[in-house]
This record gives sequence, C-alpha cells and structure tokens, in this order.
Amino acid sequence: MEGDEKMLDVVREKTNKAKVAPASARGTGEAQPERASEVSGLLSLGNVEAFYGGFRAVSNVSLEVQPRAVTALIGPSGCGKSTLLRTINRMHETIPGATVKGSIALDGIDLYGSDVDAVRVRRVIGMVFQKPNPFPTMTIYENVAAGLRLLGRTAKSEMDGVVEASLRRAALWDEVKEKLKQPGTSLSGGQQQRLCIARAVAVQPRVLLMDEPCSALDPVATLKIEELIRELAAEYTIVIVTHNMQQASRVSDSTAFFSMNEDRAGYLVESGATTTIFTSPKEALTESYVAGRFG
Amino acid sequence: MKSSAVSVQEALLQPGAHDLRRARTDWVMQRIFQVAAFLAVLPLFVLVFYVTLRALPWLSPALLTNNPLDQEPGILNAIVGSLQMTALAILVTGPIGIAGGVYLSEFASARVATIGEFVIDIMLGIPSIVAGIFAYLVLVPILGFSGWAASAALGVLTLPIVMRTTQEVMRLVPPSIREASLALGVPVWRTTLLVTLRTALPGVLTGLVLAASRGLGETAPLLMTARGTNAENFLDFGTTMNAMPILIYQYAGAADERSIGQAWATALVLMVIALALNVLVRWRTVNSRVA
Repeated sequence: MEGDEKMLDVVREKTNKAKVAPASARGTGEAQPERASEVSGLLSLGNVEAFYGGFRAVSNVSLEVQPRAVTALIGPSGCGKSTLLRTINRMHETIPGATVKGSIALDGIDLYGSDVDAVRVRRVIGMVFQKPNPFPTMTIYENVAAGLRLLGRTAKSEMDGVVEASLRRAALWDEVKEKLKQPGTSLSGGQQQRLCIARAVAVQPRVLLMDEPCSALDPVATLKIEELIRELAAEYTIVIVTHNMQQASRVSDSTAFFSMNEDRAGYLVESGATTTIFTSPKEALTESYVAGRFG
Repeated sequence: MKSSAVSVQEALLQPGAHDLRRARTDWVMQRIFQVAAFLAVLPLFVLVFYVTLRALPWLSPALLTNNPLDQEPGILNAIVGSLQMTALAILVTGPIGIAGGVYLSEFASARVATIGEFVIDIMLGIPSIVAGIFAYLVLVPILGFSGWAASAALGVLTLPIVMRTTQEVMRLVPPSIREASLALGVPVWRTTLLVTLRTALPGVLTGLVLAASRGLGETAPLLMTARGTNAENFLDFGTTMNAMPILIYQYAGAADERSIGQAWATALVLMVIALALNVLVRWRTVNSRVA
C-alpha cells in the first residue's frame, strides 16, 4: 500500500512540478481565474511529527487538506495546532532545536524534500499570524509591497497594480486608498490584520495559513476577517487554527480536531466535513469538546 | 469583623488621625523625591551656566577659524583634529560593532551570546587610561605620536558601545516582525538587514552617536598618542594632532589669561558639538517612527 502511495507521489510530483514552478513569476496581482485549472493546491500531511529539541509537540498526524476550501484545526490549548500549522510552511524549523519528521506535500511535491528550499516553500505558502504584525517602519503601501520588494524582483511600475489588487483582495482598499503613505501601524487592529493578509497574498501564494487570526480582534473586526476568509477560499487552500469553535463552524468546510496524549504530544483525533465533526463526530472526545465540555 | 459598626457616612466622610498622617507622609515623600531630582540636575545646570559664562567673552569667529599660531590665535586645528580622529574611529568600529552586535543578537547561540556580552561589558569598563597606555607602549613605537595611534585608542573605547547598543536594540525588535518577513519567503540575511536592522536603526544610530560623544570627550588616550600640536593637521594622521580635550588640558594650566579663556571656550564648543549630535539623533529617531 505504502509503496503504491509513494509511486503515485512520484508520478504526481513529475506532472505537477512544471505547473508549480513558473507560477511565482507571474506578474500582477489581478484576479486570475485561470489559476483554477493550473494548480490544485492539495496539501497532504503524512505521519507528521514536530519536535522542540527532545519534546514531541505533534505526534503522527496524517491529513489531507483540500484546495479552495477552508480547513480548521481545533483543539484545546497546547495540543500542537499552531506547531503543526508552522510545519506546513517550514516556519517551525526557524526555532532553534525545532525539527520535523514525516512528509508534507503540496500537489505531490514533498516540501521537506532535499531539492526544496524553505524560502521557496514560504513564498508558495503564506501565513497570517495571531497578532497583526505589520512592519513598523513601513507605510501601508510598503507593507503590502514588502514581500516583493524585499526580494527586489518586481519592477516599480508593476508594484502599484500589485498593491491595489492585494488590498482589494483583502477587502481593505476602500478604507486605505487615500492614506497609502501612512504607517501600517496607524490602522486599527482589524485593519492591520487585513493589511497582513494583503501582504501575504501579494506574493501570490497557493496556500494561506492562519494562526488564530482573530484572537486579538473585537467581534466586528472578527466578522470582517471571517467574511474575507470565505472569499479567499475561492482561490486558496486555507488552513486556519482557531480556539473559537463558533468560528470554526462558521468559516470552515473541513475540521480537524486535535487533542493531547499523556506525553503532552498533540495528535489528530479525527477530521472530516465541519458539519459532521460538529453534529455527529465519530469520537466521544470530539463530541465532548465541540459541546464545550472541556478545553 | 463587625463591619456594620460604622455607617457608610462615618466611613467615608470623617477623616481620622490616620488619614491625616497618610496625607502628610504622602506630601513629605513627594518633596523628598522632588529635592533629590533637583539635586541631581543642579550640578549640570551650574556647570553649563558657568562654562558658558566664562567662555562667552572669548568666543569669536576667529577662535573657530584660526589655528593657535595665527595672528589672532584660534582653536580650529583642535576642532578639526577631534572631529577627524573620532570620525575615523567610528568609521572603522561602526560597521564592525554593528555587524558584531547583529551577530550576537541574531545568530549566536545562547552560550556564545552570553560570553560575548560578558567580554563587551569588560571592554566597556576599560578605563580610558588603559586604552591610552596600550596605545602609548604598543602602537606609538610603531606609528609614532600620531592621529593613527589616537584613533586606534579611541576605537578600542567606542567599539564595545556600538556593539552593545546594536545587540540590545536588535533584541528589542519583536520576533513577530522577523517571522512576518520570513513567512513571506524573504531569506534570513535580507530579513536581518532590511527588516530587523531597519526596524532597530534609530537605536543603532543612537549607539553610534553615544560612541562618538565618548570619543570626542576622551582625553587620556589622546594625551598619550596624538599629543597635541599648534600646526594645522587636516587629515594628516601621520603626525601629532591637536584635539579639543588636549587643548583644554594644556591651556587650562597655562599662565596667561587668553589661554585659560580659550580653554573655557573650547569646553563650550565641545559641549555644544556633543549636544548637537545627541539632538540630531533624537530628531532622527522621532521622525523615523513616522516616515
């Protein structure tokens, strides 16, 4: 079985590599409906384990994340959801002593393969953090342009288009178009978070990872971000970590429920369609968690 | 506890002896801190006021544009000497100190960082006369009494300031800023230079200015290396060089009134230059938060 899977992976890898590579070189950030047929954006996690030094934070997670859909990772604090999320774009390994085992593949390409560079992975898999973190020295415009500008590969003439398209996509354009030269940190918390989303989509990722993107925001700002997430799901594979079960049920198509075993290592209890997980989960543990009985 | 014994009215409206004592203690303590704060800044004001008072009669355009042996003697060569020796020291130690500070903050392991900090703290504590004797006995035999030897001695004193400040302000940059950049697929070196160091830049500049101020005011190592001269010494690092602290030291002990007056005037000029540097950096710091 496993051998067959591997063979299949190799075939997928060969057929998809050509499609994935040139995508990053695309020009403007205008909506690109043709992308739908180009890249699937399927994430496959196989026996993923994540460590901080000797401590195993995530144990043996296998999960398929569907493209153009929102997958929510839920579970009690400390069950490794954020850690798992950070293994997907290889941010986990930026922490000294942190390592990953197992395989994570995007459209069949192993993100931890020897021929794949972490920097490239992060261009294809964008991330939005728990606390809005716009660059404090940069204006709104510069924040959105940051990803492209810091790599210095985009012509200045193209930049205006990319910035506008990204801000529109993040549903922020109308609020900031008059003040693009003001510091990014001058915006409200919710606007800052949408600015960070604009910054992430400006580099044209396939996948967006969101690590509790609303936990620092008020309910109104939260609702706006959630609407935005639904819109973005038409184009991106979205994985969102959330503590808020209502949020998971509102925004996600699929849900994966995690818990902790006795070594404090997080593991996947079950995953499936969000409606199934919230109404008729297979595991009793899931049921008591979504019913609010613990966590 | 019989809490219901006193009415709310009694509890709130009738101040007892205790309340009066508390108010009095409050007042006395505040005055004590106020007086302490005043005492702390008093010497500064007295110093600035007195130096200005003594220097003003001797301030003139000629003082700033002429050399000591000119018809109307001035202190130009001391100002130029101070600025160029300090500038050379900062020019060399600035980049090294900044790079070293970045390394300690961003890349060194916890152990190396601790050792590094320890070594820098020792360097920060080196009395300037120690840097002076090193330069005098080791560098002067090779380079002669010269601007080179003086700049080297100043460099030993300024390097740890730049390095330590850089390390500290880099560390103040929130990790989330680095993560934001890394998660965009920006390589580590670009993140470090264009995001982390850029964010910490006002602090790094402050460190450079602190180091420059220290360099400008150093006297002991200069007396042992640059020695002072009456000649013009623009960019002539190979020979003895004049500097404001040297001139102040030599003139203050002179017998004639003009020399003593010029020592005061030089002290004022030195103070103004150091102050200007600090104001400049503050102004830059405030502006860069918006720009």
